[in-house]
Amino acid sequence: MSRDAILARIRRHRPAEAALPDIHAPAFITYQDRYAQFATLIAGLGGHALTLAPGQTVREAVDTHWPAQGRVVDTTQAIHDEAASPHDWADVDIAIVPGQLAVAENAAVWVSQDALAYRSLYFLAQRLVMVVPRDALVDTMRDAYARVGFAEHGFGSFISGSSRTADIEQSLVMGAHGAMAALVVFE
Amino acid sequence: MKDDSIRHPAAAREFLADRERARWHDSAIWWVRQKRDAQMAQLPEWETLRTMAEQIKAHTLSRLDEYLEAFERKAEENGVVVHWAADADEHNRIVHGLLAERGVNKLVKSKSMLTEECGLNPYLEARGVEVIDTDLGERIVQLRHEAPSHIVMPAIHLKKQQISELFERELGTEPGNFDPTYLTHAARANLREHFLSAGAGLTGVNFAIAETGGLVVCTNEGNADLGSALPPLHIACMGLEKLIPRLEHLGVFTRLLARSAIGSPTTTYTSHFHKPRPGGELHVVIVDNGRSEILGREDFYQSLRCIRCGACMNTCPVYRRSSGYSYSYIIPGPIGSTLGPSRDIRKHASMAFACTTCASCDNVCPVRIPLSEQLVAQRARAWQTGALPAGKRAAIGALGVLTRHPALFALAGKTLRKVFPILPAGLAQDNPYSRPGRALPEMPAQSFREWWLQNRKKP
Amino acid sequence: MKIGLFVPCHVNELAPEVAIATLELLEGYGLTVDYPLAQTCCGQPQFNNGDLKGADRAAGRFAEVFAGYDYIVSPGTSCVSHVGAHTPDALSKTRSRVYELVEFLQDVLKVERLPKPVYFPHKVSLHQSCHGLRLRAHATPSERMLPYQSRLERILALVDGVSVVYPQRRDECCGFGGSFCVDEPEVSVAMGEDRVDGHAATGAEFIVGAEPSCLMHMGGVIRAQDKAIRPLHIALLLTGRGGA
Repeated sequence: MSRDAILARIRRHRPAEAALPDIHAPAFITYQDRYAQFATLIAGLGGHALTLAPGQTVREAVDTHWPAQGRVVDTTQAIHDEAASPHDWADVDIAIVPGQLAVAENAAVWVSQDALAYRSLYFLAQRLVMVVPRDALVDTMRDAYARVGFAEHGFGSFISGSSRTADIEQSLVMGAHGAMAALVVFE
Repeated sequence: MKDDSIRHPAAAREFLADRERARWHDSAIWWVRQKRDAQMAQLPEWETLRTMAEQIKAHTLSRLDEYLEAFERKAEENGVVVHWAADADEHNRIVHGLLAERGVNKLVKSKSMLTEECGLNPYLEARGVEVIDTDLGERIVQLRHEAPSHIVMPAIHLKKQQISELFERELGTEPGNFDPTYLTHAARANLREHFLSAGAGLTGVNFAIAETGGLVVCTNEGNADLGSALPPLHIACMGLEKLIPRLEHLGVFTRLLARSAIGSPTTTYTSHFHKPRPGGELHVVIVDNGRSEILGREDFYQSLRCIRCGACMNTCPVYRRSSGYSYSYIIPGPIGSTLGPSRDIRKHASMAFACTTCASCDNVCPVRIPLSEQLVAQRARAWQTGALPAGKRAAIGALGVLTRHPALFALAGKTLRKVFPILPAGLAQDNPYSRPGRALPEMPAQSFREWWLQNRKKP
Repeated sequence: MKIGLFVPCHVNELAPEVAIATLELLEGYGLTVDYPLAQTCCGQPQFNNGDLKGADRAAGRFAEVFAGYDYIVSPGTSCVSHVGAHTPDALSKTRSRVYELVEFLQDVLKVERLPKPVYFPHKVSLHQSCHGLRLRAHATPSERMLPYQSRLERILALVDGVSVVYPQRRDECCGFGGSFCVDEPEVSVAMGEDRVDGHAATGAEFIVGAEPSCLMHMGGVIRAQDKAIRPLHIALLLTGRGGA
């Protein structure tokens, strides 16, 4: 009911037509070394970036970075734990998930996977590992949005570092509600 | 909810009575402005991005009905249920209806200024729903029974000692432990229980994409993500101005939002929702509540471009020295001082005058809203509607008369100049102008006009 | 070249020496300057308090009084910015002829020296007044990602011995704000104190700016609170009156 009244009021009050800009026309910042930019930035955002050594597996890299572990769920593997409800991920210590691309300007990783039923894994895990192909590192969010896809039940998220807050006297604290720490592994 | 009988000058006087605390408030927020500047300095395309963001929003507003319909169509195709609310009351009824139909008695909420505007929390609480604000700052002010004092940093007015005392009382934390990390992690443990036991999660919306029917929610804490990923019901509430035409436009807005808001290159989580989670429901409530009226006002519709970053507050020298609680409308600072008076000029007129017209807000606004012009235009509405204090109206009226009569004008000036120096010393200091620590101007013996007549006027 | 001197009300009554210095400076370049006696108020107070009709009437008067001049020059940046930006479109010819003093020296006269050499061996902290800064592009505001420039800095390069510094918050408002200074005296004074302290923290002896009202307001704070730094209008400095 209200729908039609609201839309009618908007039609009556439409401001003068304004054109859309071409957001692809201007040159935006590019980074000579995207990896260095990404790695430097994420270090200040509660995260860490590394590149796999030749022959090293993701799991080996994670074990070295975080030796003491509780429950680990690795959805980059074909066979991994499943959850019957989103609450079942509440006790996960480390989640290892695939990231589809990474962004140099803000250290964000795009996460959206079709094999995962409950995305709560990303946010309940105490520590989050995102595994990204080294060649999927772009300069800016403009480049990123040209490449994102929504594989996971229409969900996808850019995740940059760890969950954090500065709500108490502007003091930056890692681990507000989501992951206390983040690791981005480029392979 | 906020007390809308607040008048800015009186409330600011009270806030400034504790000058040390006011200084701390000022520098805490200025720190965020500096972080914003540092982020800007790293992007050569900063001004181009602002112009693009302005243009995209201006375009969207010029076809808002079409984009809303397109959004609705796509969202419904994706299995999202779309509701429309004409006003705050309808919004609250819709949300409560969704909860009541499913027997939900606990709701976890992430930050939404819209629900503050609509007074959702007290509405639901009166009907037996437990509402848990999950953004740390919002949780703090909720436990203190206060409104947010800033739209991005709701508890910026509080010192850690106060938060420690609050958490000791409410969450059982150690007395005297003021460590922000300790306090934050105590809240994390407590709120996690609420996330896991809530029957529904409510989030705000930063952007709604007409092209895909998707919603974007940005947080640093991840509270919107937990609140929407765990409970079976996700309700997203949005003002109808949140639309953008295409997914690719996020490549402009997400670059500006966190840099402007908190001086960070991005928020930790920029999450895109298109469908309900498996086994769950996703409902979106599109709210008008006066927005379509503002759209029709030539002077003010640009305020609908706002993406609620709060940068105008952080740069505002008056806001920093008076705090969010000196403003009568739920959104304080420059953007609130046009949105509030647009809604009710009589209630919120004092906000439009809580401004020196320094125009710094115009320059930080990522969507280039001419805020200082809007505030002055709101003063004109105050003048026209009689919402102005009587003394001010009379003074300006008198000035108008003098302006038309040069001789009278000169006489009035001279009288002022001659009377001030012979005022009793007490009166010269104990007047509203001087009381806070400012001397009256020194009165020269001769005006320039008199000097000119004596020295330069040709016979 | 016919030049009409526009002296804002508060300068006329409270800071006549600033108008005298402005006149002397212009005359120093060999110009004939007239001060039309019929001038009153430009209408900014009415405009800023919502009395748009009153403001338009004042603007109309202003345009009539200054109709016969090629240029209208003033030591008051804020009033100039009002006439330049907020008067009715019908007065566009007046708008385009009105200049703040430093703008006029740089953009019209294109001066490369001062009429009389000025030696001012002092450290001065520049006060970029908001309306000059953000409405008249007197300098690049710190909020914008644009190449840096400053008119006041450029004109002070013509003075011998002076050293120019900026306060930490380069262009924060001083809290004057026209009728704001009486509507919100506590906030206004708190801003003024912070601004004066910021300028003083640079070690400068003078706060130099191009807007008399900001300087007057900060001067009131300085006198009431017995601070050492002194406000100084740029016209006084450029005519060698600053050393007192």
